[in-house]
Order: sequence, then structure tokens, then C-alpha cells
Amino acid sequence: MIEITDIEKIYKMGGETVKALNKVSLSIQEGEYTSIMGPSGSGKSTLMNILGLLDRFDSGRYMLNGTDVSGLSDSELAKIRNKEIGFVFQSFNLMARMNVLENVMLPLVYGKVPYKERRERAIEALEKVGLGDRLEHLTNEISGGQKQRVAIARAIVNRPSVLMADEPTGNLDSKTTLDIMRIFQELNSEGTTIVMVTHEPEMAKYSKRIVHFRDGVIIKDEELTPELLPEREVE
Amino acid sequence: MFIKENFKMALDSIFANKMRSFLTMLGIIIGIASVIAILAVGNGAADEITTTFSELGATTISLNANDPDQSGDLITNDDLNVLKDSIEEIRYISPNEQMNGTVSSEDEARQTVVSYGTPDLQFVSQMMSSTLVEGRYFNQVDFDEAQDVAVIDEDGADALFGRVDVVGEMIRVSVAQSQMNLRIVGVVEGSFADMQGAFDTSQIPLFVAMPHSTLSNQVPQLAGMDSVIIEVETTEQIDPVSSQVVRLLELRHNSVGDNVYNATNFLQALDQVNNVLSLFINFIAAVAAIALLVGGIGVMNIMLVSVTERTREIGTRKALGATTRTILIQFLMESIILSLIGGMIGLTIGIILSNIIAGALNIVPIFTMGSVALVLVFSTAVGVFFGIYPARKAANLNPIDALRFE
Ligand SMILES: Nc1ncnc2c1ncn2[C@@H]1O[C@H](COP(=O)(O)OP(=O)(O)O)[C@@H](O)[C@H]1O
Ligand SMILES: [Mg+2]
Repeated sequence: MIEITDIEKIYKMGGETVKALNKVSLSIQEGEYTSIMGPSGSGKSTLMNILGLLDRFDSGRYMLNGTDVSGLSDSELAKIRNKEIGFVFQSFNLMARMNVLENVMLPLVYGKVPYKERRERAIEALEKVGLGDRLEHLTNEISGGQKQRVAIARAIVNRPSVLMADEPTGNLDSKTTLDIMRIFQELNSEGTTIVMVTHEPEMAKYSKRIVHFRDGVIIKDEELTPELLPEREVE
Repeated sequence: MFIKENFKMALDSIFANKMRSFLTMLGIIIGIASVIAILAVGNGAADEITTTFSELGATTISLNANDPDQSGDLITNDDLNVLKDSIEEIRYISPNEQMNGTVSSEDEARQTVVSYGTPDLQFVSQMMSSTLVEGRYFNQVDFDEAQDVAVIDEDGADALFGRVDVVGEMIRVSVAQSQMNLRIVGVVEGSFADMQGAFDTSQIPLFVAMPHSTLSNQVPQLAGMDSVIIEVETTEQIDPVSSQVVRLLELRHNSVGDNVYNATNFLQALDQVNNVLSLFINFIAAVAAIALLVGGIGVMNIMLVSVTERTREIGTRKALGATTRTILIQFLMESIILSLIGGMIGLTIGIILSNIIAGALNIVPIFTMGSVALVLVFSTAVGVFFGIYPARKAANLNPIDALRFE
């Protein structure tokens, strides 16, 4: 599904150049749950942003669902982000003036889905993350863990082919972190492809594959049997 | 992107910062309110002037002869008869001239203003009322035969004789060193009837009207006329009758093409007054438009701040699938709605303001659909014009740069 070959990304800061990605090749299949690990500054976020079509790369090739994305226009990229990719950010990035339901409906607004269907699908997604009873709350009225669950509902509401999360629990305590990991496992078991950036082995152990990164190159790519989290108990 | 969602989002963000939005709109509010008030009061004043002028003489032609050597024979009483007989649309025609002099009865002598003309004088003169209280006005026979007759007003009758029923009494009028004994044939309503006792009327000259033919016989140097008042039936007749009159007089006096005669009317004067007024209105409106411009810059400023503040929001929206165009429309919509709300508030304040000002000036303010449309178009234009730059700035943000923005 995701197929990158010899991707390079170079940042120029004044006179200095930083090679954030150095000929990275990686392929991710449908239904996988992949963690990208590595020390800070190793290029994890850079890779994630390129995979998520938020950033462009300097050389190499990126095939997403059989399409070469390097030739696409900005608005075509926006359309693919809307339809095929769901993002979960470390700092949630919810719309402060919208309530929970409106936040989750937003990708469907950009996808031109009619209101009634938008509402139904958003409620369905929110029920999946256990927030079916918080629809009208404003985002500053809920906890950090709940915010990230809203963000996950928003990421999956348009049924993307891949969910991308960059340090999704970086701002959460350990208990809520486990909640998020449990949701990810549930989504993956239902067929959602997940790519997650993390620097904590504690989190990576719940995924099925770990790609280790250092200084812009992949140093290790391992399959593992994920540690399964118990079923979510009803709140 | 659906218009409805955009609209709601714009309103949400405007109302999220009520105070700031209001301050942003202030320039637009002031600008629109002044433009509306100036236009309404200005148009009200223009309308007031038009009405006044029309009552004065929307059907009045003033005919003048350019008579540098004072020959006094460029317009004769014969001319007036011919004009009236041959041009059907002429209702009244008369010179409307006044001379200062004195008038006396056996007991009393007073300053007077002597008006003279044809029997139509009663209809074209503003000097004396045409409402008779005793007798009759001097008529065509009096005029043709140059009878020694006169009409005075009630106040004059009272001053000279101490009573009003003075028809048949003789008065002595002297103007330009000539004396005339005239018999009173009629008394018209007094000019100062409603001012009785308000001030000492004995210092005010009396009014006397008499046939021009009679005066010409007695005072030959006043035989000539160089201006005549013509009344027609309708305003539309003014132009055709004016040119007919001028042509006929030129033919009768062998002066075709010499530009001796010219006919003017109040409407031309009115046009001039209105031109000056509208120049003035437009000037003030232009000054108010500068306030609007400043308001627009305020909108742009706040929108730029807003774009910076919401950089991460923009990045998130782009990550969720918003295109450059969607973001552009969102921010443009916001600045347009901001300007439009400002425009509406300005319109309301402008209407209140013009009622207050017009009330003080004792005129009726006039609001046209045009000025309301102007407000809508202008505020939208301000919103678009000053919103486009910030909106483009927002729309062209690179998603990852926007998301990383601290
Ligand atoms: N916008 C940028 N401009 C310049 N250098 C950058 C930028 N983003 C990242 N880098 C550099 O690229 C390298 C990889 O960064 P990043 O992908 O954020 O690492 P990680 O997410 O693994 O911590 C780092 O050296 C970082 O300093
Ligand atoms: Mg990172």
C-alpha cells in the first residue's frame, strides 16, 4: 500500500544542510500496525510528514495505493489526505471553538459529505472511541485523553486507508496512554492500517512491527508478536 | 466546501472575539454611518430646495432683453399682446417691475413701492397678494385705455384712510419726479395682516399696483421694459415656449441671431443650486469614504493577526483535507462578514443620525434603495479588497510549516 524508495529529505538552515532522510526505502502493507522508533532528531517526524503528504521530498519515489504522489498538485494531495489518510497529532490539534461532534465532522465537510450522513458517521466514530455521550462538549471541557480520542475519531471518520500518529501519547499520562493503545489495537484488529511514531519501547511493543531509525536511515526492521491489551471495560 | 459551514465558521470566529471584532468594525461603522447620514440629509435638503423652487416658479419664464443703450423699446406692450395672442401656452405675461416713491391721501403721506405691469401682474407678482377684499384688479380695458387706476393692499388703505372700503377714493402717487392722481379700484389682502402689532408697520413702505400703460403715459422714461415674467401651464412647456418667445421677438425687432433676448427659468437656477449641493455632498461623502478606507485597513490588520494566530489551525485543516481554495474562501468569508456586519451597524447608526440631524434642520431625510445597496456593495468590496491579502496568506501556507508553527 505504501511503497517508498530511496527517499531523501534535506533541510537547509543558513549555510548548513541537514540530511534528515538518507535514501530511506520502506514498504507497508494493508492491515499492518507499524511503529517507527528512534532517538530524537533521527528523522521520524520528517518521514511521517512525507508519508502523510504534508511535506515534499527532495528525491526518491513514493507510491501510495499504486499512485506516484510526486507529480500531484497541492489540491490533489489535499484530496488524498482527506480520503486516504487519518492524522493523530501529539498536541491533538482540535478546533477550540467547535464542539466534539463538529470536530469529528470536519474531514467530512472537506469531503463534501451531506450533513445527515456526516453526523451519523461522526457519531459512529465517536462511539468507537467511547465518547458517544460527549457530542456537544466543547474541546476545552474534556480531558487530554478524551481529546486524543476525539482526534482519533476525527482521523478514522472518513475511513482512511492508513492512520498516522506522531507521538500520539506524548502529552498523556500512562493510564490514558494505555487507553489510546487499546483503541489502536482495536482499530487495527478491525482492519485499519496504522503507522505510529514513538520513541518509547513501552508503546512500540503493542504494535506488530518496529522500524528503527537513526540519523535518517533505517537501522533495523523487526516483526513482533504484539502484547495484547485486555478488552476495554465500560466506563 | 459548503457555504453554510463557511458562514457558521466565520460567525463563530467573529463572535469568539467580540470586542476585537467590534473595534475592527469601528472604522467601517463610522465610515458607513457618515456616508449614509450625509447622503440622506443632503438628499433631503436638495428635495426641500427643489420643492421650494417649484412652488416659486416651476412654470415661470423670465424674459430679459439685453439693452445696453437703455433704448427701452426692445419689449413693448404691443409685443406682450402679440405674444399672448399667438402662443397658446402662455397663461400670463407681464413686466414685474417696482419703483420707489410716495403715496398720499388727503390726510397721510407714506413711502411706497409701486408695482406696474399688465393685468396679469396680479398672477406673476410676489409683491402683493392677489386675493381681493374690495373691488377688482385693474383689467384689460384699464390697461388698453391707460386709465388712471390703482390697486392697494389693506394695510395701505388702513394707513392712508383708516379703513379698508376705499374703492373710488383718490390717491396721489409720485415716482421719478412725476405725480399721478389715481383712483382706487380694488383692495387686496394685507401683506402684514398676520404681523399686526408685532412691530411698527408705519416705517414699512406701502404697496401700490397700477397699469404699465398708465405709468408710461405719465412717466415716459419708464415706458420701456427689459424684463418680463411669463407663466405657462406646465413645466414641460417652459423650454418650447421660451424659444418661441425669443424667436418671435427677434422677428418683430429685426434682431435674429443678435442674442438680444434670453429666457431663463427657475429650474435652471435650481439645477445650479443642486449642482453645487451635490458637489458638496459628494465632497463630504468622499471624506467619509476615507474613514471607510481606514476601516478596511483595520479589517486587513486584524485578519493578518488572525491568520498568524490560527496558523496551526490552518495547518490542521489542510491535514484534514482543506484545499488552498477552501482556506481562501474561509478567511475571505470572515472578512466579508466582518465588513458586512460593520456596514449594517453603520447603516443603522447612519439612519438614526440622519433623523437627528434632519430633525434639527427641519427637513425630511431621504433614504434611497441606492444608498442601502451602496452600503452592501461597499462593505462587501471592503471585505474582499482588504481580506484577499490575509486570506491568500493563510491559504498559501505550506501544511507542515503551518502545523509546526509555535
Ligand atoms: N523545518 C526544519 N528545518 C530544518 N531542520 C529540520 C526541520 N525539521 C526537522 N529538521 C531537522 O531534521 C532532523 C530530523 O528531525 P525530525 O524528523 O523532527 O526528528 P524526530 O521526529 O525523529 O525527532 C533533525 O536534525 C532536525 O533538526
Ligand atoms: Mg518528532
